[in-house]
Amino acid sequence: MMNFEIDLDSSLRRFRTWALSYRGTITLLSVLGLLLIPPISGSEYYAQVAITAMIFTVFAASWDLLAGFAGQVSFGHSAFFGVAGYVTAALVRFYEVHWVLALMTGASVAVLFSLLIGIPCLRLKGPYLALGTLAFSLILLNLFMMGTILGGTEGISGLPVSQNLFMDFYLILAIMIVSLVVMRAIADSNLGTVMKAIRDDETCADASGINTTIYKLIAFMISGFFAGIAGSLFVLNATAVNPAVFQPLYSFYAIIMASIGGLATIYGSTIGSFLFVVLSESLRRLADMALLVFATVLILVVRFADEGLMNPILERSQELWDKIRGR
Amino acid sequence: MGLILEVKNLTKKFGGLTAVNDVNFEIKRGEMLGLIGPNGAGKTTLFHLVTGFEKPNSGSIRFNGMSITGKRPHRIVNLGIARTFQLVKSFRYLSLLDNIAVACLSPRGRRAFASWDIDEAASTILASVGLVDKARMPPVILPHGDLRRLEIGKALGTNPELLLLDEPFSGLSYEEKEGITKLIRRLNDEGVTIFVTGHVLRELMTLVPRVVAMHQGRLIAEGPPEEVANNKIVLEAYLGRGEKFA
Repeated sequence: MMNFEIDLDSSLRRFRTWALSYRGTITLLSVLGLLLIPPISGSEYYAQVAITAMIFTVFAASWDLLAGFAGQVSFGHSAFFGVAGYVTAALVRFYEVHWVLALMTGASVAVLFSLLIGIPCLRLKGPYLALGTLAFSLILLNLFMMGTILGGTEGISGLPVSQNLFMDFYLILAIMIVSLVVMRAIADSNLGTVMKAIRDDETCADASGINTTIYKLIAFMISGFFAGIAGSLFVLNATAVNPAVFQPLYSFYAIIMASIGGLATIYGSTIGSFLFVVLSESLRRLADMALLVFATVLILVVRFADEGLMNPILERSQELWDKIRGR
Repeated sequence: MGLILEVKNLTKKFGGLTAVNDVNFEIKRGEMLGLIGPNGAGKTTLFHLVTGFEKPNSGSIRFNGMSITGKRPHRIVNLGIARTFQLVKSFRYLSLLDNIAVACLSPRGRRAFASWDIDEAASTILASVGLVDKARMPPVILPHGDLRRLEIGKALGTNPELLLLDEPFSGLSYEEKEGITKLIRRLNDEGVTIFVTGHVLRELMTLVPRVVAMHQGRLIAEGPPEEVANNKIVLEAYLGRGEKFA
């Protein structure tokens, strides 16, 4: 008991130090800002936009964990997203399973699929791995489009509609924060160190006695799990699912969002997804022209911020803040 | 003492080229053995075969009496054979401390440092190779000599019984060579068996009591360094046949 109190005390102190640091303050202010969206705006539309962005944040971060930290670039992340979505939808719609259980089952099936995709694809490297994973997601897309599996092209619809969107908002916000913190903790752990080593030089990791195959599979499974959580949440929120979730487009969304935020950061995905979702919502009126604007923004980001937006923005704004305070 | 490594009739072919041709040799536990030969003699291929990075076409390799022929590299490392690379390899975006920590996190490293904190183990090793003051730096900014030390440190993280050093002196200044020589001697004194290659005889002469010489994939001589250095076949391998110059 005594020990527990001491631990709690030291972690509280560490939290205080972190909260008072520049990054900590910014993070807490951002979370506070998010918390205030529903009461201040009072609009379900804004809450829905933020929900979509938060779900994509988890999805993009899961891709970042696999590609940014373990160096395994997947172009087929929509497979995990879609499979989990379908499992969740089927369980909720046909078996009236509680959504929490359906979400966990969906994520677990995504982990199984990550093994299914990971094992054959682990022999591939670089662009070939990307193509291999892309092929897997296309196979799934066509399987679901072609046949009558779980509703064929129509998919599954008519999932229970949420009674309180603001409640969903807070739940998804909590899930996003927990997912991000867990993924970042993994990246900073010994497991993360080994994953980064494999990313930097696989031969060298092998020569350091690391079974790279096992660690790459672990990375695939963790990434698949969180992509699955995102897919399940997406389907629960949309109250429907159809084969379109397997489109390569969704994989590219994850890649784009994680890259805009900054690779190998995990937290950068928040900036990437919010920018992406808010931008595509606000450009909706421009119809096809929106794509042009969007593509231009992307090219500019890639050209001028090759390490993504999060770290440069934080560094610049901190310098500015220090200057204002006269330090 | 006993034998730590026995290599028998080892052959490796790349297409039409026989890089390692029917090679036989043994390393005694605790000894320091040198492997010399001109560039392209097959030294690195031999290292790749012993450490599992290449699979031999025929022949056998036994470590501590157990066959390790064709085993995967990480398995061989975890049995107790570590190596360094001729062209230094490191984890570019990890700090030096984490570079070593990765090796300490291998199954063999974990066993060796079971009662240690991983960072503590890694910094002890960094200190022993003389890099502890640069623990937080990434390898990309290090001079070549420090990278060679880091390579040895990474190998030590797996707690090796046998350490294979591929050209540890290449590209180093005189002072750096002195430092590495001292480091290798100390490791040997601490009980690590050393197998070291070099294409410059002089560098190995002062370090090892016994060398084997390799040329065009074959072992052509064996003995104390002075003897091998004056061996007619070895001289021909390095300088070409006498009559061509005459």
